[in-house]
Amino acid sequence: MSRHSKAVIVDQIRKSFGSVVALRDISFEVAHGEVLGLLGPNGAGKTTTVDILSTLTRPDGGRAAVAGYDVLTDPAGVRRSIMLTGQQVALDDLLTARENLVMFGRLQGLKKSDARSRAKELLDQFDLADAADRSVSTYSGGMRRRIDIACGLVVRPEVVFLDEPTTGLDPRSRQSIWNLVSDFKEAGIGTVLTTQYLEEADALSDRIIVIDHGMVIARGTADELKERAGATYCEIVPLHLEDLAATAVALGSLLPQENRAALTPASDRIAMPAPDGPNTLVQALSQLGAANIELRDIALRRPSLDEVFLALTSDNTGQISARRVEAELLS
Amino acid sequence: MIDTSAARLAVRPPTSTARQWWVLTVRVITPTLRNGEVVTLVAASIMFTAGFYIPLKHIVGAFIEGTGSYAQYLMPLIALNGIAFAALSAAFRSATDSVQGINRRFKAMPIPSLIPLASRMSASMYRCSMALAVALICGHVIGFRFYGGVAHTVGFCLVALLIGAALSLLGDLIGVATENPEATVPLMLLPVMIFGQLSVGLQPAERFPEWIQSFVRDQPISQFVYTLRALAGDSTAATGEVTWSVIGPAMAWLAGLILIVIPLHRLVASRRR
Repeated sequence: MSRHSKAVIVDQIRKSFGSVVALRDISFEVAHGEVLGLLGPNGAGKTTTVDILSTLTRPDGGRAAVAGYDVLTDPAGVRRSIMLTGQQVALDDLLTARENLVMFGRLQGLKKSDARSRAKELLDQFDLADAADRSVSTYSGGMRRRIDIACGLVVRPEVVFLDEPTTGLDPRSRQSIWNLVSDFKEAGIGTVLTTQYLEEADALSDRIIVIDHGMVIARGTADELKERAGATYCEIVPLHLEDLAATAVALGSLLPQENRAALTPASDRIAMPAPDGPNTLVQALSQLGAANIELRDIALRRPSLDEVFLALTSDNTGQISARRVEAELLS
Repeated sequence: MIDTSAARLAVRPPTSTARQWWVLTVRVITPTLRNGEVVTLVAASIMFTAGFYIPLKHIVGAFIEGTGSYAQYLMPLIALNGIAFAALSAAFRSATDSVQGINRRFKAMPIPSLIPLASRMSASMYRCSMALAVALICGHVIGFRFYGGVAHTVGFCLVALLIGAALSLLGDLIGVATENPEATVPLMLLPVMIFGQLSVGLQPAERFPEWIQSFVRDQPISQFVYTLRALAGDSTAATGEVTWSVIGPAMAWLAGLILIVIPLHRLVASRRR
């Protein structure tokens, strides 16, 4: 199969369900070997996007291509090139893990003997060999998710869609899914990962797209997004709490008036901008040292992705979240 | 921990529609051999046979004139009950598939859209064949025999299986549409029981109150019973000839049912979340 310039191209896709607008002009691209994190709250449009890209739903407008195949004009080509794991594990619960793997292998065109040997390989690789001949209905959540993904890997996909793959998993299972995503990257497979976990998007994604109410509200690397939400700042904790006022005095012009004003008797630390990064830190250390103030902690801090997410979605939270709560109560 | 080579795989081979159909059929059949479904099917047939034959043989059998035996009279309904039970399993199974999300997964795979339904239907036909075989064995035990020669015997089996196919198609539709395995059982069982009791399968239409006789005579189960009874034949001439006027209405009911259910299947399949 020829290599296409991009694993996924999404150009201005729109989708409505009745009067509910699910997606408004979403655009993005995913390169081969790249992991794109699709981040957003429940109902933001993540699953609808994945459904359109995996040919389960037709967009109302716009264009999308997966592995070089147009989702509207060549859905069969798309289906030959992808692996989809939904939020829900989709297996035959009455069959064993091995039977599921052999079935998916043969559905994907493998001969019986090849499907069997591939099943064995995957069972070993996914650490499921001991449970291979048990019905998957007896599996734990983490095991089910693993065999679910393994069934999608009986043949090599060009593009992988993982729709909230770690929701509800224990940390160990989550870690093994994370490792797998790194494998996809190495193998040159383009991956679209939807998640509500900022930590997950941060750890796995090369780039992140934040969507809310069917619109892209931010895009960039995790670092860029953090940059957008606020610059690096310096946090200072004196060893003795009563030194806090003296600390503020010693910092002098490093501590802007507004940060100084934000200090209250209840404060236990000082936060101030660090426009020069480490240099600001070094300067603060030397001024505090000169004033003989002992420190418990001093560090450069960057906003977490959680803070970024809240900042990005806070513009319209008040009104809209109230409306959303109302809608959920009514439904 | 997962081995890091999990994602390095061979290139995709071409898929084969016939193989996909076969694999998906075997998928449904395999568990029936070990989860008790076969045993249930056999037990149900024995239960229907005993439950109808033993209490009704003397009460109703005495009133039916001309027929060789009550077993001969009862056989069509026993066969239909067994087949309806098999179709009910089909409904339960397709609802389970829908709710587990495996149908969604198949839709995102290189599988022609008709194949999952086709394979569920062929698995249903396996169930129906088994149900029919068990019903015939039960019938044989209580004294039922084929009197119509080879062609009519084969005809009996084919019509019974065709009814099974139509009911399975209906059951599958109910399963896919409701996506609720528990709901399929009352939805299927209730009509089967009502139509079965209010049919000529147990006693002649004349034995029902007058106001309901025309319903009893014309409803599909009765028409199926008339057809199967004629094809089975009897030691006496009481069951009537195999003519279009006897089997025509049953065929019309079947054709009508199939013609209604297939477009509904298409409608449900195109339904998006």
